[in-house]
Order: sequence, then C-alpha cells, then structure tokens
Amino acid sequence: MDNSIVISTPPHVKSKRTTRGIMLDVCIALAPAAIAGCVFFGWQALLIILMSVFACVATEFVYFFIANKGFSEKCKNAKAVCLRWTKQFDFTSVVTGLILAMIIPTTDKWYQVLYEVIFGAIFAIAIVKMLFGGTGKNLVNPAAAGRVFMALSFTHLVATSGFVGASFGPISDSSLVFTDATNLAGLLTNGLDIAPSSYLSPLDLLLGTGVSGCIGETCKLAIIIGYVYLCIRGVIKWWQPLLFLVVLGFTAVLLAGFTFDKYTFDIALFLPSVLSGGALFGAVFMMPDYVTSPKGVWGQLLYYVAGAILLALLRHFTRMEVISFVILLMNLVTPLIDKYLIRRPFGYIRQKKHKEGK
Amino acid sequence: MKAVKGRYYFGGVHPRGGKELAQDCPTEVMPLPEEVAVSCAQSLGKPAEPIVKAGQTVKCGELIAKSDGAISSDVFASVSGTVTEIKELTAANGAIESFIFIKSDGKDEKAYLPPLTEPDAEAIKARIRDCGIVGLGGAGFPTAVKVAPKTQVDTLIVNGAECEPYLTCDHRLMLERTDEIVRGARYVARALGVTSIIIGIEVNKPDCIAKFEPYEDIKVVKLAKKYPTGGEKQLAYITTGKRIGHGRLPADYGITVQNVATCFAVCEAVEQGKPLYERVVTVSGKAVKQPKNLWVRVGTPVQSIIDYCGGEVTEQIIEKDLQTVKIDVKNKTATSENLVTEKSTVKKVVQGGPMTGVALADYDCYTHKTTSGILLLNKSEAAAEEPTPCLNCGKCADVCPMHLMPMNTAFYSAAGDFEAAAKYGNTAYCIECGACEYICPAKRPLIQAIRKTKAYLRNKK
Repeated sequence: MDNSIVISTPPHVKSKRTTRGIMLDVCIALAPAAIAGCVFFGWQALLIILMSVFACVATEFVYFFIANKGFSEKCKNAKAVCLRWTKQFDFTSVVTGLILAMIIPTTDKWYQVLYEVIFGAIFAIAIVKMLFGGTGKNLVNPAAAGRVFMALSFTHLVATSGFVGASFGPISDSSLVFTDATNLAGLLTNGLDIAPSSYLSPLDLLLGTGVSGCIGETCKLAIIIGYVYLCIRGVIKWWQPLLFLVVLGFTAVLLAGFTFDKYTFDIALFLPSVLSGGALFGAVFMMPDYVTSPKGVWGQLLYYVAGAILLALLRHFTRMEVISFVILLMNLVTPLIDKYLIRRPFGYIRQKKHKEGK
Repeated sequence: MKAVKGRYYFGGVHPRGGKELAQDCPTEVMPLPEEVAVSCAQSLGKPAEPIVKAGQTVKCGELIAKSDGAISSDVFASVSGTVTEIKELTAANGAIESFIFIKSDGKDEKAYLPPLTEPDAEAIKARIRDCGIVGLGGAGFPTAVKVAPKTQVDTLIVNGAECEPYLTCDHRLMLERTDEIVRGARYVARALGVTSIIIGIEVNKPDCIAKFEPYEDIKVVKLAKKYPTGGEKQLAYITTGKRIGHGRLPADYGITVQNVATCFAVCEAVEQGKPLYERVVTVSGKAVKQPKNLWVRVGTPVQSIIDYCGGEVTEQIIEKDLQTVKIDVKNKTATSENLVTEKSTVKKVVQGGPMTGVALADYDCYTHKTTSGILLLNKSEAAAEEPTPCLNCGKCADVCPMHLMPMNTAFYSAAGDFEAAAKYGNTAYCIECGACEYICPAKRPLIQAIRKTKAYLRNKK
C-alpha cells in the first residue's frame, strides 16, 4: 500500500467548485458588460479596464511579497514565493479590478483616469482587502470602496460637465446633453412635470444607446446576460438582484409621486429608475458579493430590501446616484445582521421560560 | 400501493454519482475468510462482554459476546472454527475495542436459534434482542431498544433512501430480497403495534419503487434525489410532515425509522433464527478493479475483501530519472529504456459511505455490522485539496438540512471560542451529514470544526 493515502474527517467526496472557479465565473459574467463598454467608449475604456486589473493584481502580489515576516528571506528565493503566490491566487483581485474599472466613467481626460484608477486599485486591494486579512476577510466591498475613494480624491470624477453627482450614475459626456445623459438625475430633479417621454426610452436605457455613463454600467443588456450566466452557474441566487431592483423601483415610484400639492402614481417611472444609473450593475455584481453580504436567508432579505429603500431615498433626496455609498453602508451593517439574525434550526423547540418565584 | 411523492425539504446537496459503478452488480457471497476478527463494540452504547476463551471451538452464529447494559447488543461468531485470541486493537474510527479472533475451519457449521412461526409481539422483540440486530444504516443503534419505545408508535418508516453516493448495498437488497424486507417490516410493525408502514425510496431507484408498489399494505414514497434524504429527521419530515424536535426521539412523535437491511435481518432472525453475522457490503470506487456487492461476514479483514474484488487499480509511471541501459555487444550499440513502475491509484480508503464514513489508514481493519461499504477512491474522486480562506459565501448554510450556520462554527472554533461557536452555529443540532463540507468551494474542514465544538460541549456537561 502506498503511503500517500489521505485520512480526514468525512465527507470524502467534495464538489468540484472552488473559489477560483467561482471567481472565474464572475469574470466571465463581467465580460459582456466590459465588451459593451469597450464598444461604446472605445479603446480608452479597454485601457482603463486593463490598467485597473493589472494594478489590482500587482498590488496583491506586492502585498503578498512584503507582508509578514522574512522579507529578506523572501527576496532570496523570490521564485519560490512567486510560485506560492500563483498557487494561492484565486482571481478575487481580478474581479475587483474589473468591477472597479467598470464603475468609473471615461471622460475627455481619460489619461487622468488611467493613473487615478491605480490609486483606486491600491486603496481597494491593499487597504480594504489585504490589511483586513485578504480574501474573505474584508469588511466592505473593495471595488465600491476604491470607487468612493477615487470619487472623493479626484473631484473631476464627481463633477464632470458641471453636473454634480453624475459620477455614480450615467455620467454626461461633453458630447451629450444634460437631460439625455443623466436621465435618472434629470428625471428626479424635474419631478413629474416633464413627461417621461422627453427622456430616453427604457429600450435605449436597456441597450445603453445614447446613454453615457460608467464603462460597464451603460449597457444593461450585457449586465443581464452576465446575471443569467451567474444564475445558471449557481454563483448568485436569482432572486437577490430581482428583489433589490423591484423594491428599488417601487420605492422610487412612490417617492416620485409625492409633490407639494398632489399625489400621482406613475408606474411608467419604474423602468427608468431601475434601468438607469448603476443600480443594475450594483445589484448583480456588487450587492451579492459573498464576503460582504449576510448569510442567512432572512438576513439577505433584510439586506436587499433595506439597501433598495436606502438607495431610492438617497437618490430622491440627493439627486445623485449613490449606489456605491449604499453598498458600503449595507456592507458595514452586514456583521450586525449576521450576529442578530441567527437561523432557527430544523426541529427547534421553543424553550418555555420558567417563571421566577415559583 | 402506488408511489406518492414526498415533501420538499430545504437544504441538501446533489453529490455526483458513483452509484453507477456497482448498482448493476448482483450480490454475491464472498468465500469464507480464513480468519475473522469480530469486534465486541458493534453498536452504539456499551460494548459487549466476551464470553468465549482462546482455544474454544465455536459454530457460526454462536453467541461469543454478551450485551452489557440497556443500550448494547449481542455479538455472534461469523464463521465456525476456533477462537485464537481476544485482544484490544484500535478500530478504524480510532476507538480501542476488544476483538475476538476466530480461525475458520472451513466447515461453516451453523448454530441458529429455532425458527418462529406466527410469533406475537413479545416473541419478535425477544428474537430481535437475541439475534443482536442493530440499525444497519450506519449508526448501529440496537434495534431491540427501538422496538420497545416508551410511547405508542403508529408509523413505521422503512428507510430505503440510500442517499449516500457510491453505496448500492440497500439498492441490491431491495431488488433481490423484496419479499423478505416486506415480511421483516411486517414483523417489526407487529412488534410495535404499528398500523401503517411507509417505505421511502429515492427516485434514482425506479426499479425498487416498482418492486414495492404491488404490496397493498405498504405505502411507497418517492424521495427526491438529494443528500441527506435518508437522515432520520429528514425522512420523517418528508414522509409524514412531522418535525422531530431537538433532543427528542422519533418515537415521541409516533414514528420509528428502520433501514431496509435491518428489516431483512429481522425477517431472517424470525423465520430462520439466524443471528446477525453477515450483511451486504458495497465495494466500490474507481480505484478498485471490480466493484461488487458482497455478502460479507462480520469481522472479515478489509484486505481479503479488496483481494476478492481484484485489488487496486494501478497506473504505470514512467520514471524519467531511472533508465535501464541495454548494451548490445555484437552490434556495439546501446539502447536505454525508461523504467516503468506500477503505482496504486488509491488516494483514500473509506469504510462506510463517502459522506459519513471513516477514512482508513491501511487495510488492516475488519468489517463491522454497520459497515455498508468499502470504497477505494482515486485522486480525482477523493477531494484531498488544501483548504483556502473562507469566502463567507454562505453555501454551507444554504445546503444545511438542519438550517444551521456551519461557517460560524468554523470561524469561532478556529479562534478557540467554542461557546460562541455553539451559540452562533447552533452546533448541538448538527447531524454531521457533511453536506456543508461537500459544497464548500474553499474546501474548509467544517465537520472537523463541528466535531471539535461538539466534543467541547460534551466535556463541559
């Protein structure tokens, strides 16, 4: 008998899914949106995506190399360290890099964005992810945190074309007019006085034609393809993004209906509010992030419903697309949800409380 | 009766096949081993006390160890011959058990109890106890205790789910010995005073479902192909809709669950007076040459079972460094050939099912009453991968049939905080089915963490 026989606790067979496989699936699901972004925004978009992914992976590698003890030791046998790194590399930083690139806009100053994204990537990977312990230990979504870091650091990403807050939603390119580009923001600012027909049609929003915005967020159809792929592969639960979007849509419709003198309920606003901005992208690729979302079903329900209502409220009152902030906020609440919403086991018997003084 | 569909339950995994290897192999009787080593700890509870001495001749089916205490079962000689020695050995699961070694004389003389005709409830109960019958599904709970519940039981559920991958012993038994299983179930029902008999069979065994449908007094429930459908609590819920509470027995809800192999053993015990000393064992896995379903005597060495099944599958490995050089003197030429060595492909040896069984370190082990399978898994089947960091994906919680949070248990027990591990993971409810670890994409050792936490809870009491 060979001495390479393994002894372990059961089970002795395991599923073929690995972390790496799941992350590769997410990369594949992100591909249509990335390709659509490159088609709409040209080679500059491709350059930004590549730069972001490279920066994320490189940051992770450098962190792996310099962190922990024995730096000089590692320098001596750098080859072995590299081999070890490739062995444990699980594509999470590639996903972070892709998402980070896809939620920033291309502007005229794309060359600026190109180096700014490096700072975003370093912040996302080194500070948000690796300092907290690497894969699975980060408190908030690295890509969302990197995005917010960039928005707060480089103001031109926030205030492009003179419209504050366009950064997170469909950003107006200089070539596009205000109402067209910032469909959602314009819609919300002007209320119901302007008929929805004066905005982009839901079909345009779906295809991303005539809409300018972040690289990966414009073509909703591509995101939906990615969503279907993720559902088929069992990476995310199909109901989670849907729940988020439905709650978001209805809350937005309800809120938009309130004006000073009259109340009008217009269901026609449902699709624009769901399909514009980064809501769809965030709901499919960022909200269901394993690490930063609750684990129990009830916790997940709370997470998506609360996130959607929060997003609708903030959109209504700030006139900005704030999906990244909402995701960060909900990420921070997640540990609390996990702590207090413990699932009730199968066959749970309610303990009768004994009355004192008997 | 016509088969009906069972209830849906949340959780569970769909382990990839493995059953196709042995499910078409009819059961065959394995030749008598030269020597058997029968463990005295064949069931849950206290091990039996040996009543034979070295040098004594015994017959097949003779009592060699007497049960000791309420939850314990008798042990019988599985071959006829002489007792060579009684010694304590470490069993496969790590426990130290005393084994009775019997050298076979090859005659296989039988010493059965007298058969019963038209027995009443008390006679059946006594016979089940005297024949040392235990639950053959895996846990090995003495059946004599199960058929004497404190409360009145009205439903007998026969467990024909066999939801573990690879194992096909119950499948073959249901196909080949349908009538005996039904008779055994009726005996158990008579002993308990039960009115309705339900048999649950997974839908991946349509031939078995068709076999049981003609019996009018037996309700056949089709179970979804999911693991762990055959778990006691899950099966009770699927077939009757009753949720067995934590710390309660199925009998408290008027339910008794018996495995099909147990029913078969009861039938043989009542009708032939045959004590439980042999059972069907599935020998399977891609690393064994001929997967088989064998009638194996209790205490048969694993080595002899593997040998009977053709041994291990080997692969040829070309050693690049080692070369044999042939020098032809006449032609003044030299040719070199790579040295080829035969290497076993076995990566893991499992006694029992792949989801709950025990991994063996070598073949120097002996079968028990509860051994349902001997599996030789090769590298692609046995997941022997290094764990990667937990992703917090929550897949373990999604598949948990008991609705627990295994990731919390793993997280807190790794930090040494077992109180929190038990509190946030609800570990006390765990049935250790292994579904969580099966699905884990990071290959975390969740069951190990759960067992550690449970051990802490036990020691605390």
